[in-house]
Amino acid sequence: MTWMLIAPELYFCFMAAVFFTFGMTARPEAKQDGLYLTALGLALGAVVVSTACGCLQGSFSTIYRVDLFSQVFKAFLAMGYFLVICICPELPGIEPKRRPEFYLLLSVCTLGMMMLVSSVELLTIYIALELSSYSLYILVALRRGEGRHFEAGIKYFLLGAAASAVTLFGMASIYGACGETNLPAILNAVSTNAHSPMLMVGLVLTLSGFFFKLALFPFHFWAPNVYEGAANQVTAYIATATKAGAIALVLRFATLGAESTYFVHLLVVLAVVSMTLGNLAAVVQKDLKRLLAYSAVAHAGYVLIGILCMSENGFAAAIFYAAAYLTMNFICFLVLVKVADQGGNLEVVELAGLHRRSPILAVSMMAGVFSLGGLPPTIGFTGKFLVFTAAMEKGYFSLVLIGMINVLISLYYYVLVVKAAYFSEPEESLPAIRLSFPTKVMILAILTVIVVGGFYPDFLYSLALSAAKALVA
Amino acid sequence: MNPTLSDFPFLSAIMLSCILGLVAILVIPGRQKGLIRWVSAFSSGLSLILGIFLFAAYDRTQGGLQFVEKIVWMKSLGIHYFNAVDGFNLPLLLLTGIVHFTGVLTMWELEERVKEFFALYFVLVTGVFGFFMSMDLFFLFVWYDVSLFPMYPLIVIWGSTRKEYGAMKLFLYLLAGSALILPAMIYLFVQSGGVGFDLFGMMQPGTFSPFQQKFAFLFLYLGFGILAGVWPFHTWSPSGHVAAPTSVSMLHAGVLMKLGAFGVLRVAIFLCPEGWQYWAPWMAVLATIGIVYGVLVGLTQTDLKYVVAYSSVSHMGIVGLGLATVTAQGLTGAVYQMFAHGIMTALLFSSVGYLHDKTDTKSIPELGGMSRIMPVASAYFIVGAFAGMGVPGFANFWAELTVILSAFKVYPVSGVAAVSALVISALFMLRVVQKTFYGEKNQRFAGLPDVSPALGFPRMVLIATLVLFGFFPSLMLDVIQPSVFAFMEGLPK
Repeated sequence: MTWMLIAPELYFCFMAAVFFTFGMTARPEAKQDGLYLTALGLALGAVVVSTACGCLQGSFSTIYRVDLFSQVFKAFLAMGYFLVICICPELPGIEPKRRPEFYLLLSVCTLGMMMLVSSVELLTIYIALELSSYSLYILVALRRGEGRHFEAGIKYFLLGAAASAVTLFGMASIYGACGETNLPAILNAVSTNAHSPMLMVGLVLTLSGFFFKLALFPFHFWAPNVYEGAANQVTAYIATATKAGAIALVLRFATLGAESTYFVHLLVVLAVVSMTLGNLAAVVQKDLKRLLAYSAVAHAGYVLIGILCMSENGFAAAIFYAAAYLTMNFICFLVLVKVADQGGNLEVVELAGLHRRSPILAVSMMAGVFSLGGLPPTIGFTGKFLVFTAAMEKGYFSLVLIGMINVLISLYYYVLVVKAAYFSEPEESLPAIRLSFPTKVMILAILTVIVVGGFYPDFLYSLALSAAKALVA
Repeated sequence: MNPTLSDFPFLSAIMLSCILGLVAILVIPGRQKGLIRWVSAFSSGLSLILGIFLFAAYDRTQGGLQFVEKIVWMKSLGIHYFNAVDGFNLPLLLLTGIVHFTGVLTMWELEERVKEFFALYFVLVTGVFGFFMSMDLFFLFVWYDVSLFPMYPLIVIWGSTRKEYGAMKLFLYLLAGSALILPAMIYLFVQSGGVGFDLFGMMQPGTFSPFQQKFAFLFLYLGFGILAGVWPFHTWSPSGHVAAPTSVSMLHAGVLMKLGAFGVLRVAIFLCPEGWQYWAPWMAVLATIGIVYGVLVGLTQTDLKYVVAYSSVSHMGIVGLGLATVTAQGLTGAVYQMFAHGIMTALLFSSVGYLHDKTDTKSIPELGGMSRIMPVASAYFIVGAFAGMGVPGFANFWAELTVILSAFKVYPVSGVAAVSALVISALFMLRVVQKTFYGEKNQRFAGLPDVSPALGFPRMVLIATLVLFGFFPSLMLDVIQPSVFAFMEGLPK
């Protein structure tokens, strides 16, 4: 029965095989509906399977660990995957004949990240990381169009490859310092030898690769270009699911450096710079995806505050934040995909008149950005509240104050988005945006999650707390 | 135990009447403007009735917390859903009920995007009610921000006079306030050592060290002070009030600024009494400057709404001065002034709003002789102006008198400054009234209709309230004083 432990991973392998078959057999002129419905059904199944496996526990030798922490993140990932598939019925940004590959790569990427959150051995982690990264490199370059996406794809690939190299170098240093590739064993070695410079350098370098995924300063340079260059659905995936995976990974590794104050101080600096730089850069953005990219840099900083507390509450706050960020960022991308129905990019001013074209999308946009900005009663507020509480417990008063000032800066540009959606009128009147009934239901469900997460976050927080306990255990 | 009347969750019922109103508005199609107005009026009327009932049913001899509702909300963080009334928040709940109801009626003639207007308006009011009745710090903060964010759309869509600038300034200022409040709040929560966010658990003496109280008080005072219009953080208020549509100005100057003052009282002073005693002289300085400054800047204004807005800055300074005296009398006066000023300023803004709607101008030199064109509408403004001057017979008289008497004992200089400022402002208001409503008639406005009895009704309600509490101040004082005395006795000497 041990196979049951990796049921979600197996399921994603199966999905990849299905899409592979589609890619081999489907003729380009064939209708795409069958493919999309298959994808949707399989994605729904993925959510069910991943959630059903939530309580499993066990491990494969010392390499692969299945515990509450990994299962919670697998559920998040499956959820993110499902949500992204939900906004793919049109897919104008991808050529029809490439669509089976699009689904295939999306599944493989999610599979890679699922393996990532369970791996506790350096080599496995590296392989899982590359599995997800390579799928993403191709996904970014898949966009239909003339040139922009190649720049984004190549930039992402080169920077990503460099980040991988740094990670490998870091892993080699860790191995050199303690002669182990297994995380629990490394943790032991760290506690006896906390101040070995080689170990700390190795740890920082390894984390650099994961910070790259998280788009944390100074590894954020790819984010605006890739967000802008990739197809909207792919950007939505990068902005939601991969962030959750990256947070999980950083959590696993950060625990190794808990003993070292140098390490924690380094994280403090990175968090502060990342928040401030991301928010200030976002203020001047005109393209909605670039704006969200810089806001992602800022959010990476907020999450890092939770992580650098090195306490159970801090980790729980970071886990909660991962779920919150996935939800609220996704709804922004949902609006973006629906408004930019030709698959192009969207300037903030092009949201003008949205409240007339589709009131429900306008409300979603408002809820999404206010949640990103951390206004109560939204799940984004609760996330920030938990992160700041954890930081305060460790006595970082000024860090919390800087965080709040950043929240203030970010609200300025978020409000400009709301203003565009609600108060500006387009120069020529645009047609109303029609939404299908399932889409409306999905939007309502997400809005409910956002508001309930703001008023009554008990369930999700308890879950995050248990997951954090499993992480440090 | 038999269930009694006071076991019925009246406070939640007030919230629920707002939330149900909101849901109903959202469900009704936007075309049916009449139905939306009636639903809004009905729902706001219901919350007003519940508010009046609470005010009447509050046991004045017993005092203390009544109508308590307490449920564990999040155990892991010690958050409770904890609502109650005492002598401090009861007047403000009543105030909110009155201004909410009259504000809906004042906007009866609105035609543009009616559904969205009332939906946002109800979100705002829900937040305000929640803030006043909540006794849990977490919920207090959540409701505080819920009441802030609808201000931006309300001003930008339906406002006038540099509305985008005014709205953005207001929004960022007020959120800067919450950026100071939240760290202080979390700081207190962490330092309280597991008490949780329960306000009454946290205010037990000895929970916080004197240093912690002084430190947190500063942040809380500045954070809430921004919303209370404390000089020099008041600059959002005139531009915001002027830009806002009528009922939003009413609600904002009438109720929202009290959120700030009440936050100073309920959070900063309750939790950090030693910080309060330590910083009080500085609070008095800022409050006195605010009183004088509001009057002096008001003198130079030619826009009626700016005149009213700067008088609000000055009157909120009186609230601040009352809080700064650290005496029972000063606290009582401050709470009374919050109530009286809220009603008075709502009346003034609603009268100016009517003039502005009809004449399309708020400029004092352009208006003139209005009392011969629209006598009733003019009368409403003039009554409001008299109330603002502190003429006996209106609630404001008692409130200002109480504060200034207590200020004379503690800070004689501030007392003298405040009295002189009030005298100047009275003279000035009389000149505004004279120029606007008497004198040469502007022929351009000659044919304009006077305010109809239906539209006049909300203003009459406001005047009646001012007069009622002006002639029977004990109605209000009996509610406020037991709680004030109980609180002052618990202070460390």
